[in-house]
Amino acid sequence: MLRVDLTHMTYRVEELERDVALKYLGGRGLNVYRLYWEVPPGTNPLGPENKLMIATGPLVGFPHGLGSRINVTARSPLTGLLGDSNAGTHFSEEMKYAGYDQIVLEGRAPRPVYLYITDSWVEFRDASSLWGLTVRQAFNAIKKEVGDPRAQVAVVGPAAENLVRFAGIIFNAYRAAGRTGMGTVLASKNVKGIVVRGDGYVEAEQPERLLRALEQLIYSLYSNPQYWPRRVMGTSRILLAGHRLGFLPARHFQEPTADYAFRVSGELLAIKYNVKVRACSAGCALPCARFFVVKSGPLAGLMGEGPEYEPLAGFSVRVGISDLDRALKIVMKVTDMGMDAITTSEVISWLMELRQRELISDEEIGMKLEWGEADAVERLVEMIAYRRGIGKVLADGVKRASEILGRGQDLAFHVKGLEMIQADPRALKGYGLGFAVASRGADHLRSEPFIEVEDDPELGMRLFGEPEAAMRLGVKGKGKLVAFFEDLNAVVDSFEVCKNTAENMLVLTFESAAEMYSAITGVEASPAQIREAGERIVNLERAYLVREGIRRKDDRLPNRFLKEPLPSGPAKGHVHELDVMLDEYYSVRGWTSDGVPTPEKLISLGLVEVAEDLMARRVYNDEGQGRSG
Amino acid sequence: MAEPARGLHVVVDPSKCAGCNICELWCSFEHEGVFSRSMSRIQVITYELVGLDYPVVCQNCEPAPCVELCPTGALSKGRAGGIELDKSKCIGCRVCSEICPYGAAMMDPKGRYPLICDMCGGNPACVAACPTNALSISGYAMVELPARSTAERFAVTELSKLAKGWGIEVRDDEGA
Repeated sequence: MLRVDLTHMTYRVEELERDVALKYLGGRGLNVYRLYWEVPPGTNPLGPENKLMIATGPLVGFPHGLGSRINVTARSPLTGLLGDSNAGTHFSEEMKYAGYDQIVLEGRAPRPVYLYITDSWVEFRDASSLWGLTVRQAFNAIKKEVGDPRAQVAVVGPAAENLVRFAGIIFNAYRAAGRTGMGTVLASKNVKGIVVRGDGYVEAEQPERLLRALEQLIYSLYSNPQYWPRRVMGTSRILLAGHRLGFLPARHFQEPTADYAFRVSGELLAIKYNVKVRACSAGCALPCARFFVVKSGPLAGLMGEGPEYEPLAGFSVRVGISDLDRALKIVMKVTDMGMDAITTSEVISWLMELRQRELISDEEIGMKLEWGEADAVERLVEMIAYRRGIGKVLADGVKRASEILGRGQDLAFHVKGLEMIQADPRALKGYGLGFAVASRGADHLRSEPFIEVEDDPELGMRLFGEPEAAMRLGVKGKGKLVAFFEDLNAVVDSFEVCKNTAENMLVLTFESAAEMYSAITGVEASPAQIREAGERIVNLERAYLVREGIRRKDDRLPNRFLKEPLPSGPAKGHVHELDVMLDEYYSVRGWTSDGVPTPEKLISLGLVEVAEDLMARRVYNDEGQGRSG
Repeated sequence: MAEPARGLHVVVDPSKCAGCNICELWCSFEHEGVFSRSMSRIQVITYELVGLDYPVVCQNCEPAPCVELCPTGALSKGRAGGIELDKSKCIGCRVCSEICPYGAAMMDPKGRYPLICDMCGGNPACVAACPTNALSISGYAMVELPARSTAERFAVTELSKLAKGWGIEVRDDEGA
């Protein structure tokens, strides 16, 4: 691992602790371990004392077919809690080939810099001329200056420089680690970008065994019925599916369907504009990143990579825009500013609903704001990035914005300070439970319990002993469902492979994960041990939150989803029955009814020091029950 | 415009290449026993801003300047196409690497010897592993297409570039 001291512009290479690598696998697990022990409660997220961790995983660099990812972790300036974001990028394998599993950035550089990291040295390069550039401009400038086509470049945009609390790190010009403000943390350290380049290699301890495992993995990927739709459309295909199933966030979750859904769908995008598939990282055998070029109309010539479902839905149905070209232009603007598309779409759609309900005036906003006004949305994006006008308020995220304005708190759709993704929990109940308990706030990627969309009671019975577990409007068994997929995703995120392939297509099971891990590391791991590592990571993240005072009271969904029945669509009339599901979930997890992992649970997972830490901080009362934080 | 003569080599349809580097990883494993981008004999050049990728690989020139100019005779034409390297004769002088008109003879990361495509003895690992069907071997077939009009001749000229990436040589039947 590489530890960089930005304050003194020095670095040192440290040996990764072997027992830590085995317990936390890599990537997300490794990062949260470092965060828990090195970034104590009370740390200012935007101060030099915060640390930013970038990690890759044990499968990265091999042609496993799944796509390789990178995990970025720090204390979040948006939520004040666990900040963590993940991107699929060539940065991932390049960092591995440079010889680093983890890079830890500490302190704050005395002037704007970008880091140039190779196998043999780290350079702190002057970035004063790059400060202020958009993502694509900065990417291009660094790429030219470095002059190496293999150099993998990550940058932050103007939003991060202006300390917008939800700025991301953009890898390879288009690939965002968007959530929880990791770009803001990087910019607060005076770092505009990171370049990595490595000439090394990876090899398995047991090559024959790895080759057999790889062959199986690739064939299960190729033969999966989702292979082709995903390759043609990536996640953008979810938009039309969301309309059919009635879980879209249209007009800020006021309508679960949109009669114009096809006009902003991944299907139409593929038919009209996609010119080529692209792989986000080395070794991906299901390249689903698509390059698009707008071919006609006033925006002809607009081009870019993607977009995925989240930004596409965020800047179409969520804000009421029914024109694909305009949605694409806004998505590219958000990427160029370097902001989290999900959070940006929430703050803007929240403001639009406030306007609709006349809780705010056009004068106060500074423009006429109505659903579907693409010009206004585009202007707001810039105002947020540069903290101008109402953008100054929105740049702090929806929770703070509603507190600052003293309005619309009930309409501010976030969990633990992180804004809601583009899916209505009333129509996807397991997802809803996942949003409520996810360790970084309202997010689907911690649990992603996609099999509930199958609506197959027999499948639910077979996997979880509860028919409703695999039915999206079912309630019973959702605790088991979410806990299982949280554990699996913790493994996927720590192996740093792609969730679209590994988890959503169930290509990486605990069994195949154990086989790959054993073959590569030479350390024999059983499927049960791999799952336990996933569970350990989830529990460590929960312990981090508990240490910050997070309890059941914070595992909430916004009131609209709990109290207002869905007005239309296939799930019409439904609300989200969160409390029942929470009880089941905590009980499956072995946590108290207040959502605190018991000392016994932590100790059984080998988290003895964590249990001691929580005890020393008086998290438990005399009965070993969690106290309210 | 006559193309320079070439022996069997790996050809590319760049409209299909996704830049996944799988060709590189299996090439390096086939030849060096490890997975590495820098130890591959095929190297993907990527331009993210416009989403373009191109795998650069030995074009097997006839005659081949690398073979002609190698001072120790370490390089020779392979029987199954490509260029073969006799590592015991190579002194790492880089002449081949510098003379290659395609930049397709990179030195290995330690500068020991050039990484030139040897066609894996006729069954290239990169072609077999490519998940997007972007790689082929040149010369699978030659097809003559009728081209009576200027428009047809133009079409055939343009199409021949595409088909070349599939290993199919297309020309108009007047041989123009």
